[in-house]
Amino acid sequence: MSNLPLQRRRQRRNFIHGIGFLAPNLLGFLAFTLIPLLLSLFMAFSNWDLRLHNIFVREPLRFVGLDQFRTLLEQKDFWKFLGNTLFLMMGIPLTIIGSLMAAILLSQDFRVASGRRLIYLIAGVLLIGSTVILALAGAGATGMVLLMSGVVCLVLIGGMAAGSTVYRTLFYVPHFTAGVAVFLLWKKLYSPQGGPVNNFLAPILDGLAGFVRVLPAHSDMAMLIASRVLMLGLLLLGLNVARKQWTQGDWGTIPIVLGLILLGLPVWYTPRWGAVPAIDQFFPLAAGVVLLVQIVLALRVTRMPCPLDEGMGNALVLSALLMTLQFALLGLGNVGFHLPQMAADGLEPPKWLNEYHWAKPAIMIMSIWASIGSNNMLLYLAGLSNVPVELQEAADIDGATRFQRFWHVTWPQLAPVTFFIVIMSVMGGLQGGFEMARAMTAGGPAGATTTLSYFVYTEAFENGRMGYASAIAWVLFAMVFLITLFNWKFGSRYVND
Amino acid sequence: MSTTDIPLKPSRRRVWRTTCARVTLHVTACVLSVLIILPFIWMVLTSLKTLAEVDAPAWMPAVFQWRNYVDVFHVIPFARFYANSLIVAGWATLLQVMTSAMAAFSFSRIQWPGRDKIFMAYLATMMLPGLVMVVPNYQIMIELRLVDSLIGLVLPGAFSAFGTFLLRQFMLSIPTTIDEAAEIDGASRWRIFWDIILPLSRPGLIVLTIFCFIGTYNSFFWPLVMLRSTENFTLPVGLLFFDSQHGSATHQLMAAVTMSVIPAIFLFIFLQKHLVRGIQLGGVKG
Repeated sequence: MSNLPLQRRRQRRNFIHGIGFLAPNLLGFLAFTLIPLLLSLFMAFSNWDLRLHNIFVREPLRFVGLDQFRTLLEQKDFWKFLGNTLFLMMGIPLTIIGSLMAAILLSQDFRVASGRRLIYLIAGVLLIGSTVILALAGAGATGMVLLMSGVVCLVLIGGMAAGSTVYRTLFYVPHFTAGVAVFLLWKKLYSPQGGPVNNFLAPILDGLAGFVRVLPAHSDMAMLIASRVLMLGLLLLGLNVARKQWTQGDWGTIPIVLGLILLGLPVWYTPRWGAVPAIDQFFPLAAGVVLLVQIVLALRVTRMPCPLDEGMGNALVLSALLMTLQFALLGLGNVGFHLPQMAADGLEPPKWLNEYHWAKPAIMIMSIWASIGSNNMLLYLAGLSNVPVELQEAADIDGATRFQRFWHVTWPQLAPVTFFIVIMSVMGGLQGGFEMARAMTAGGPAGATTTLSYFVYTEAFENGRMGYASAIAWVLFAMVFLITLFNWKFGSRYVND
Repeated sequence: MSTTDIPLKPSRRRVWRTTCARVTLHVTACVLSVLIILPFIWMVLTSLKTLAEVDAPAWMPAVFQWRNYVDVFHVIPFARFYANSLIVAGWATLLQVMTSAMAAFSFSRIQWPGRDKIFMAYLATMMLPGLVMVVPNYQIMIELRLVDSLIGLVLPGAFSAFGTFLLRQFMLSIPTTIDEAAEIDGASRWRIFWDIILPLSRPGLIVLTIFCFIGTYNSFFWPLVMLRSTENFTLPVGLLFFDSQHGSATHQLMAAVTMSVIPAIFLFIFLQKHLVRGIQLGGVKG
């Protein structure tokens, strides 16, 4: 007998076994992934609508080509909801910075002591804790003080005994429990009357109102102009960094262009959203002058040294952060402008989820709370532990300050992690917002918190327009796919570096 | 231990200084952690208030109203919601871990033609937004007459490309010589899978179990779409139902929220070591 039939038999056996082990999963894969995928594609190009095809109405199912997509792109609401989704995504840079800072804090050496010294320390904590309780309770405080000091002491003792694990667990809890339960909790926290957030804000705002009332006249205009000047400053900072990196060959042209687009968004929106159009119309003009100067400065350098797509991650992170700050300043300037007027009859805390302009920031604050201690933090913790100690020591010997050590050693080493986190957050952000909208605001007020995913839900399951909802889902898929392509193109290089 | 004069022994002052720095670090981390869990503290305290106390600025109830927790079970079928959630999450997890492990075994330890192409197809579906699948899957569930049933919740959750991918990564790190030795000893494929590979990939199985369980336990979109009758509601849908029916009863709502959050928190505290490793393993490389 030759070897050949044996080998062939072996191959066939392998094939049967391979398929056999895969079969249960493959069946599910076909039934709940592949077939739905094709069905969804078909729906997006048809007039599939539960109101047209049911036991009462029997409208024939027709192929309608690109009609659904055309309706979608012509619908003003779609652009508004896309805008809402992108607005909520502006929390991402803040979240990532928060996660990074939390990871840096928690990656410090937390070993205090062991044995006798630990017992001394715990005794000290207990002593100080009970002194605080005594002092405050003596002044007529409530059980609340007792409880809070107890919690703080407990956490502190736990941390000293078990190291940073205790803190890491507490930081991570909001993310792990995130879901309808936590959203309902925040809905109550935000409640305009008697909610703890507003109970906390009310005295602060009273103080602020008193302060604003004694401000000189025209301070409203001063605050507006100051905010715009600061915005220009941020723009200048961003452009300056971009120009330097470009001429030094660290950033290529593509990241520069993408960064400029991000930086340009606040410039574009200032005349539209600004409190005083007469002044804010000049803002793009000033920005244009700044840009022109930078371009002239950049053109004096003839060296065009680096690949087009170098430095993508850093450029995007920096410009996204500056953009968020600029938008925040834009809003603050507007608020500052109206402040004296509003302070005249006492400042009211915002109505958060019930108010058109505050609903989105409210949801953003909650998401930042929920995702500072999330998987991002764990990934950063892993990344930080992989930064070679020799590099840190070398920088230390060269006399680098703490910040320099972070900026020139740690941050570049974390680049692959940051890139991964940014990609995942952007993809998640594009698809996100449904649960909050459904549990907290029902998409309102006046559609202020309706994101694309909530739009799909209402169209498909409240209006029964399955075809239309599929079309929205596919547009969303196209955007996610673009991000994925971007990831394939630039992500692998980052990881290899 | 001994207190002989070793020159390298840090001076007393140095020890003091590091201790002080570390204690500062602890205090910072502690204050931040307490700030982060502050909403949960409010949640528990509010769940122990009377309705009249809810809007009061003081966080502390005058008398702890433990009966709020009992009342929740009378106002809505909360025990039913709990049971449904555990049933759905339990079955989905069991089935998903099983099918994923078998598929991962096939993808990582058996050589068969076409294997890598199919695996690429699996990988490609991982980036599909779940949103694309919800609408057609609902239509399929209508055809299968599974709308408003727990089976309809379990079935789509029983198969996962992500789980297959995760376990495949784990199984790839087990040396193939083990299989070969077992095969020479006359073990069947199933025995190799069940008695050798599965026990060796235990860390991966634990991670997938936690991910899948907590994911299903928290999942909201699909149950919301699928479920009609109150007795089939899972916890998230049930909480929403509670909020829409008795939303002004903040104290009871918070009791319900507390009860639905606590299992997740305990699960995390006990399993966090595995979870952290799993996230870091699946994240950076994936």
